[in-house]
Amino acid sequence: METPTPENKPVKITITLPTNAYFMSGIRDFTLSLIRNMTEFSEQWAFRFQSVVDELCNNAIEHGTAPGDDIKITFISNPHESIEILVEDKNNGTNKTTAEQLKQLIDERRKPNYIHKGIRGRGLSKIVAEWTDELEFKDIENNGILVRVKKNLNDPKLKEMAQSSADPSHLVLN
Amino acid sequence: MTEINITVEDIPATTQNQAVKLAKFQGQLDESNVDEKSKIIYGLIEQNPKNLYLLFDFEELEYMNSKAVGYLTDWYGKIAEAQGKIVIAKAKSNILDILQVVGLTQLINTYPTLDEAKFALLHDVAAH
Repeated sequence: METPTPENKPVKITITLPTNAYFMSGIRDFTLSLIRNMTEFSEQWAFRFQSVVDELCNNAIEHGTAPGDDIKITFISNPHESIEILVEDKNNGTNKTTAEQLKQLIDERRKPNYIHKGIRGRGLSKIVAEWTDELEFKDIENNGILVRVKKNLNDPKLKEMAQSSADPSHLVLN
Repeated sequence: MTEINITVEDIPATTQNQAVKLAKFQGQLDESNVDEKSKIIYGLIEQNPKNLYLLFDFEELEYMNSKAVGYLTDWYGKIAEAQGKIVIAKAKSNILDILQVVGLTQLINTYPTLDEAKFALLHDVAAH
């Protein structure tokens, strides 16, 4: 195993954000800047992650968090390898749910014959799922929900997943 | 609220009984403003219940979220049902990318220039 050096040590940045869509413009700018300056992803992918982060956060704010509370966004850049983005909410908003329910909802909306009818509902299933290699929903302490996405830099076909292919909340996209 | 301006002007058309409009979007459409600003286009649809032809100039549109996509899809549905049309011009590459990933480019044609978009729209107006 390669010994971690400053050059290949993962870089982790966590931001705590109030539940207000007003702040999302700044988060999008930060995401663009982070991907451009700290990773080897292309410009196209920098914009894509801008959308991914926006959609994950909007979902957490709108559905997952009571007004006046916070959500947490974590960026983990694994140099030369991948980017992970985690969004955590307290699941105390208007639509309480579970990780499994969220996963099933996304699975349903990703079916080829599924027709999106409303104004909402495309963010996770169309944008986040298409532009990431892994999309995971997890129940966390105090009834919160964690959504984790990962995109591999070289986008290799994922080999058999050693970890939790039996985990019902871990969706692996090839 | 994130900044977004939507301005609307008439495009001269050769055929009567058809409303041809240019809607220019400047800024970012996101969760903080899309619900409010979408009313501008719904207002156009309400004022022109049939044969509304819309050209969306996206040259200065920097971002759109999935709810904006939802509204765009809804506008398309309402306008197409009423024998109208929407086309998009000069969308930035990141906007085109979003429209493609959600499948909207299969419904709404996009053009690199305003002239091409206008020609396509007015050609369609004349055909009806």
